[in-house]
Amino acid sequence: MTSNSSRIIGAVEIGTGKVAVLVGEISRGRSLNIIGVGVAPSRGVMKGEVVDYKAACEATHHALEMAEKRAGARIEEVWLAQTGGHLDGFYNEASVNVKSADNTVTALDIASVCDLAKEKELPAGRSRIHEIRRPFRLDGRAVPDAEHLSGQRLEVGYWIVHGHEGKVSDNIHVVGGYHLEVRELVLSSLANGSLLTTAEERQHGVLVINLGKGISDYVLYRDGHVLVTGTLPVGGDHLTNDLSIGLRVTTAQAEMLKLRHGRATVQTRDKSEKVWLNGDASFGDKQFSKNAIEAVAAARTQELLAVIKQKLGSAFAPEHCGAGVILTGGTSKLPGIDEVTANVFGVNARRGESPSWVKDELKDPMFSTVLGIFQFGLRGAHEHALPPRRKTGFLSNLTKIFASS
Amino acid sequence: MSSTESNSMSAAGRSWRDIRQEVTPLAMSRKGRSRRRLEWFKVTALFVLLGAGGWGIYTLVHSWETDRAALATAVHSEPVRDIALITDGVLTKKWAAGILALPKTASLMSLDLEALRNKLLENGQVRVAVLTRHFPDTLVLSLQERTPVARLQASDGNGPARQLFVSREGVVYDGINYGSSLVASLPWLAGIRLVKAPAHGFEPITGMEDVSALLSMAQLEAPQLYRTWQIVSLDRLEARDEILVKARDIAEIVFTRKRDFRKQIAELDYVVDRVHVLPDPALLSVNLAIEGQVPVRMRNTPEELAKLPDSTFSPQSPQQRKSKRDL
Repeated sequence: MTSNSSRIIGAVEIGTGKVAVLVGEISRGRSLNIIGVGVAPSRGVMKGEVVDYKAACEATHHALEMAEKRAGARIEEVWLAQTGGHLDGFYNEASVNVKSADNTVTALDIASVCDLAKEKELPAGRSRIHEIRRPFRLDGRAVPDAEHLSGQRLEVGYWIVHGHEGKVSDNIHVVGGYHLEVRELVLSSLANGSLLTTAEERQHGVLVINLGKGISDYVLYRDGHVLVTGTLPVGGDHLTNDLSIGLRVTTAQAEMLKLRHGRATVQTRDKSEKVWLNGDASFGDKQFSKNAIEAVAAARTQELLAVIKQKLGSAFAPEHCGAGVILTGGTSKLPGIDEVTANVFGVNARRGESPSWVKDELKDPMFSTVLGIFQFGLRGAHEHALPPRRKTGFLSNLTKIFASS
Repeated sequence: MSSTESNSMSAAGRSWRDIRQEVTPLAMSRKGRSRRRLEWFKVTALFVLLGAGGWGIYTLVHSWETDRAALATAVHSEPVRDIALITDGVLTKKWAAGILALPKTASLMSLDLEALRNKLLENGQVRVAVLTRHFPDTLVLSLQERTPVARLQASDGNGPARQLFVSREGVVYDGINYGSSLVASLPWLAGIRLVKAPAHGFEPITGMEDVSALLSMAQLEAPQLYRTWQIVSLDRLEARDEILVKARDIAEIVFTRKRDFRKQIAELDYVVDRVHVLPDPALLSVNLAIEGQVPVRMRNTPEELAKLPDSTFSPQSPQQRKSKRDL
C-alpha cells in the first residue's frame, strides 16, 4: 500500500546486454525506498538502440512485470535511461548586458541569457535530451547564482545533449507498449556519474566511464559541474567479437572465455599455458593459449580507453581530474582494467562503488545506471532547475486514454 | 553538479518531451494491452459509480421533496407501537398521543418528526420538544414544560371565559394536568390586553419577566404574604413601572420594578407585622414604590391608631425586625 503523497516510479535501462528495472517508492519527492527489481536478458537492442521493437518490448515488459510483481505495486511512471551512439553534445554560450540602471542582475537578465544560450538550432530530426547549465559568469567571475549580484555583463554556457528523434522515440515507445509514460529521460552517463561520485570528487574533477556491452558512455566533471558527456558505440561486445575472430570460436564461446580468463592486462607470460574452453572434458572441448586471450582483451580494452581519451580531447587534462577515473558497467569487471585506465589517462582509476545506502544485492555494476537514475532525479529535485512537469491527474490521464484509443 | 533542464520550452529545436508517447494497441504487448484495458475499466467503473451516485442523490432529494412516504418505504421499519414520554412537567403520554394523532399503520420511518414536533410546540405548555426514533417501533418524546406563575381569565368573544396560565416568559397557554392546589395558589393577572397570535394562541405578555421576579421573590422570601395575594395588575407597569397587587387583607400594594423586590417585600412584611398589633387591622393600601418611606393607608380610627406603640412605624434595622419575627 502506498500513501497519497508517494509515487511509484520505475527506473528503466534498456541496455544491449540486459534490461534492468528498479521500482522505487518516492515519498514527498525526497525519500526513496527501492521495493522491486526486475532484470531480463535484452533482445532487439544493438549498441543501445532498438532494432527489433517486438523483441525489445518482450524483454523490457518481462523485466517490468517482474519488478512490479516483486514490488507488489503498479508502476505509475517511468524514468528511462538513454544511451546510444546517436547521442551527441555541443557547448553553446551567450552573454547579455545587465539591464537595470544600478547594474543589479535580475531574474529577467538570467532568463534572457539562458534562453539565448539554449537558442542554437539543432539539425533536423534531432531532439534535445538535456540542457546542462554551467555556472554563470558575471564580468568574468564564475558565480553559481547571479541574481541580485552587481555586474555589467552576464554570461552562461550550456552543454546540450541531443539525439536522433526516431531512436529516442523507439526507446520511449518500448515503455509505452507497456502502457506506461516516460516522465523523465536521463542520460546513462549522468545517472552513473550522479551515483558513483561525490560532490567533492566532482569539484576536484572526475571522469566516470560506463563500459557497457554495446556502448560505452562517459561524463567528465570539473569544478563541480558537468563539462562533457559522450558515448562511444564500442563496449564489451567488441572484446568478445575480437576473441571470437582471433580464437575462431563462436560468440557465445568467446564470451565465456572472456568472462573466465579475460584480463585488461597481460599477466600470463608463458605462451604455452593453456585453458580449456568448457573445462568439463566433454566432446569437442578445446584448449586455448591463456596469453592469447589476455593479449586480445588487453589490446581491445586499451584501444577502447584510448578512443575515449581521444574523444575527450582537450577537455580532459590530468591536472584537472584530481579524483581520477571511475569505471562502471559490466566490462569494468575485467581484471586489471583500473591499471590500464590509469596508464591511459595518467590519473588514478578505480571501479565505482555504490553509496552505502544501496543494498548489497544492488551493488553490482549492472544496477548502477538504474540506481543513478533515481539519484539524479532526486537530487535534481533539490539542486537543479526542475523541468516543467507534464500535466498529471485524473483529467489528464483521461485525456491520454482517449487520445491513445 | 550542473543544473539540467530538459523541457519542451527550449528556444530552438524539439525536446524529447514533444515526442508523442502513446502507442497503438497493436504495438503493445499482451501485458500492456491488459494494463490499458484495466485502466479503461477503472475509468468506466468510476464513471458508472459517479453516475450511480449522482442518480441516487437526485432520486433521494427528489423523493424527499415530493414524496417522503415513498422514501420511508425504502427503509424497513415497524409500525409505531409505543410512544415513550420523558418530561420534566405534568403532561402525560395520553395527552401526547392525542396531540400527535398518529395513524395506526404509520411506520416509524414514515413519521415526519419536524411536523410532529411543531404540533407539540403549538401548545404553549411545551417549551422544548425532541422527537427520536427508537427502532424498531417506539417514538420517544423528550419534553421540557413551562411552569405557570400566574393565571388569567380570557374570552375570545365567542365562548365563555376560560382560565389560562402565564409562564415566567409571558407565554399564555391552556394549562393541562396542573393540580388544583397549584392552580389555587396562583394569583390572577389583571391590567393586560391579550393579543391573538397570527398562528394560534396569544402573543406573550410583555413585562412578565419583572412580574415573575416579584412573584418568585415573594414566594421564596415571604410565603405567608404571597399566599394572600389574589390579583396582580400590570395596569401601571408600562407607564409608571409599578406592579399592583391586591391581597386578601390589603386592597392595594404598589411595587416598583425600579427598586429591589427583596427590599420592597421586606418592607411590606414589616408593615403587615406592625399593623397586626391592632385589634382589627385593615390596610387599604401600602405604597412601596417610594424610596425611603412607605405610605400606608388604613381604615382604623385615630383612636385605634393611637393605641399603637410609638415605635410601631419607626425605622428599625433589618436584624431587629428579623429577630422579632422569629420570636
